[in-house]
Amino acid sequence: MASPPSLDPLPPPIPVDTHPNRAPGSKSPELQRSLPDPNRLAPGDAYFAPSLSRARSAPTNYEESLRTLSVDNSAHIGSALRKKLGGAGRRRKRKGAWKKLLWVKQSYPDNYTDTETFLDHLQRNPRVRPYDFWPLVADSTVIVQHVCSVVIFICCFVGIVQDRVSPVSIVCWGSVGTAVGWILWDNWIWKEHEESMQSAVGITGGDDGSSSTSFASAVDTPANDAQSGDTKTNAIHGLGLSMSGNESKEQFAHRSADFSESIDAVVNLTAQSAVPSVPGTSDIGTTDPSISQETNGASALSPRNRQRLTTVKSAFLIYFSLLGLSPILKSLTKSTASDSIWAMSCWLLIMNIFSFDYGSGEGAGATTKFPASLSTNAAVMASTVLASRLPSTTHVFSLMLFSMEVFGLFPIFRRQLRQKSWTGHVLLTLTLVIVAGGAVGVTLSGGWAAAIIGSFLGSILTAFVMGGCSWWLISLQKYKNVVIGPWDPARPIIRRHWN
Amino acid sequence: MPYNIAMVSDFFFPQSGGVESHIYQLSSKLIDRGHKVIIITHAYKGRTGVRYLTNGLKIYHVPFFVVYRETTFPTVFSFFPIFRNIVIREEIEIVHGHASLSSFCGEAILHARTMGLRTVFTDHSLFGFADAASILTNKLLKFTLSDVDHAICVSHTCKENTVLRASLDPLMVSVIPNAVVAENFCPLSHTTRAPDQGLGSPADAPMSPRPIGPDDPITIVVISRLFYNKGTDLLIASIPRILASNPNTRFIIAGSGPKAIDLEQMLERNVLQDKVELLGSVRHEEVRDVMVRGDIYLHPSLTEAFGTVIVEAASCGLYVVCTRVGGIPEVLPQHMTTFAKPEEDDIVLATSKAIAALRSNKVRTDRFHDQVKMMYSWRDVAARTERVYEGVIGDISPEEFYGYYPGQGWEASGDRVRSFALIDRLKRYYGCGVWAGKLFCLCVVIDFLIYVFLEMWFPRANIDIARSWPKKPSVSKSRVR
Repeated sequence: MASPPSLDPLPPPIPVDTHPNRAPGSKSPELQRSLPDPNRLAPGDAYFAPSLSRARSAPTNYEESLRTLSVDNSAHIGSALRKKLGGAGRRRKRKGAWKKLLWVKQSYPDNYTDTETFLDHLQRNPRVRPYDFWPLVADSTVIVQHVCSVVIFICCFVGIVQDRVSPVSIVCWGSVGTAVGWILWDNWIWKEHEESMQSAVGITGGDDGSSSTSFASAVDTPANDAQSGDTKTNAIHGLGLSMSGNESKEQFAHRSADFSESIDAVVNLTAQSAVPSVPGTSDIGTTDPSISQETNGASALSPRNRQRLTTVKSAFLIYFSLLGLSPILKSLTKSTASDSIWAMSCWLLIMNIFSFDYGSGEGAGATTKFPASLSTNAAVMASTVLASRLPSTTHVFSLMLFSMEVFGLFPIFRRQLRQKSWTGHVLLTLTLVIVAGGAVGVTLSGGWAAAIIGSFLGSILTAFVMGGCSWWLISLQKYKNVVIGPWDPARPIIRRHWN
Repeated sequence: MPYNIAMVSDFFFPQSGGVESHIYQLSSKLIDRGHKVIIITHAYKGRTGVRYLTNGLKIYHVPFFVVYRETTFPTVFSFFPIFRNIVIREEIEIVHGHASLSSFCGEAILHARTMGLRTVFTDHSLFGFADAASILTNKLLKFTLSDVDHAICVSHTCKENTVLRASLDPLMVSVIPNAVVAENFCPLSHTTRAPDQGLGSPADAPMSPRPIGPDDPITIVVISRLFYNKGTDLLIASIPRILASNPNTRFIIAGSGPKAIDLEQMLERNVLQDKVELLGSVRHEEVRDVMVRGDIYLHPSLTEAFGTVIVEAASCGLYVVCTRVGGIPEVLPQHMTTFAKPEEDDIVLATSKAIAALRSNKVRTDRFHDQVKMMYSWRDVAARTERVYEGVIGDISPEEFYGYYPGQGWEASGDRVRSFALIDRLKRYYGCGVWAGKLFCLCVVIDFLIYVFLEMWFPRANIDIARSWPKKPSVSKSRVR
């Protein structure tokens, strides 16, 4: 059947850029060609030269396999093969270049493998950055902090159960610590809020607001040097664990492409960081943006005081509801056998440690696999279960309040402290390690000597574990081999979610 | 020279889909070229035993336990006795498996190699390398393809993927695209219509291509299953923005799936019910009737090996807007498509560009049908597949089949023509991995023992030879140009 006469001949085929991930200008062709073959994925070079992620074409691969096959006459055969490849190239010129298109009828056989375009979009380990030792150790302090606080909690429980420590004294010390932490945190939040408001105003008044203002630049551009210094340390120390920080920031920049939105985003960001003030006070978070936007509006209380009042109110709410719930919690799992309780609380605490959100909070939940609530809920449930082994309602109330402070509020404070002051973070880590070691020592044998020995041993052990694990992770990196190409499902980028 | 070919796959009619219609169209066109083709699949509900389709295409529905989405339970060996029986009965020379997720196909290739038959495998899909499911699938594919004589992929991207997944020699992988039955996808205003094609085409008089004015309504058609990997999230996010920025446009969306609820919620929230028409799932025969109601086909998929549906849309005379993923950029020429990145903003932009191009009458969509008809046809696919068969059987010399390096002295070329000796096969399987290699070798040895046992217990002489379907007179030969 012939095509109708009116039909235009097909336009000449235009080579199409076949992949969105391709960044044509980013890598020099010499580097692309000098990479080992893509089929036998040697991980070492990917680790040592992660930027050279382009693949080499197939016949070079043959050449290489050939070299490994026969070392003696490799030069000889290699030159022969090159000659042959040259022949193929000449033939290609004669026939017209092969194109990576399906709709063109080409004079090449179907199994023709083009030496230049085959696997040219393959990327190996594109987003992998090699870890450095000290930043990795520094990042592992976050985990150490959390594990230590869990250990301290367990030791406190054991002390309460064995009647060595008065529960009221524990909860008093905990509450004092919480109050101090809250005051510090409150100061930071409001300072940061004011600065960000200033910076937002500064941008509006200042230059045209180039569309590329990322979140970081939007925050540090004005002259708040102390904070930018802190973010710098953050960036240095956040090299190891917060892998996704870079990506999310880019996403953020993309999202705040529109200028007015970028201001909005800064305001929202402070609102977000203000949200996790006290668990159960999410109403603060929802009202916060409106509050911050009407900062100038004259009201009886300043917004800062208003929020403080709300926080205090919700603290009292939690306090009294815990007080009311203590008798119920005490008898809730009383009928369960003790060994089930120990096993269950162990598993719950392990779950808490493993599902805890150790991120710096900049990824804003998009990167965490588990919801942060899972870890908190596991911890609270563990303490609920443990509470049934305690003799009186006062004990139960103290333990529950203490667990709220340790598992609910303390992580927020730690996260904020890490962003604010690195020295404080290190000091807090040291304190926690020493206290946890001492608590373990006291729990095991009792007495001040045991405490000192325990804290000493605990510190040394922690240091070794941190260093050893970091070194291990680094040495495992050479096995990393991520292959990415056009066959991978694309990640859609959506501005809004309709759900 | 005619061959006896067995197509093996879990996926065949009555289930409908891309692989199924590929197998059917390829088989019937191969029969037209004088070969004998049978299809071996598992028994479907209400579809058991041996069936004949048009043109003497014989289907064996083997009773088997189905685990998930019409894939049979992988038992490695239990399929062998009945497979051997069918192969001997039908005097099969080439076993051609389809779809990498089909365990039937993998087992058939293993058994066929044990029996000394040539094997060909067609891969229809793309897989990543990252998640656990992909790693397992890739290991199984490596097992299947370690000993295969030739592999066929539907696009160049698919070829790269398969070569990487199964560590194949790239010259042993051919690229043969899918095709469309262009007669079934005619635009409404199609004038030069085949005289035998009475049904399914409107009887309206031949009319000149209707110019689209700046205020005429433009209809955007989307036909896809509403799954995450089909990009339904992108679609949901971009529909309100497209409709807001382009007045006089409307959507027709056909297909069903888990994301349908999200889509409906979006419509309700934005009150777009009068601008977006949801048809639910449509049968493949009705796809054309839906497509011809529109002017633009939007395909926001996130991964696609070939994307037959965009060829179908272009054949219906629709301008195609699609994401640049997988093998899609290879499929259609640039004057038929607008590519977008898989991002909401870019899809909105590309669709607006396409609408503007149509409004300004820059795009001659009325010529698309004839152009697509020249690009893709099943007859062409069958001819190219036949060349693969000739290559693996040895009717084309390996030098010619495998290309450009005649007289090369190195060893890898010797392995392209896969010998049937057990020790050679074991060598190939052993290289699959530290543990997997040994396991695969064990499987191959057991398979061989089963074969020897079957040869003794059920000797070949006792198996009847099935009579072939009477060949058509050589009318078909003359029709082939």
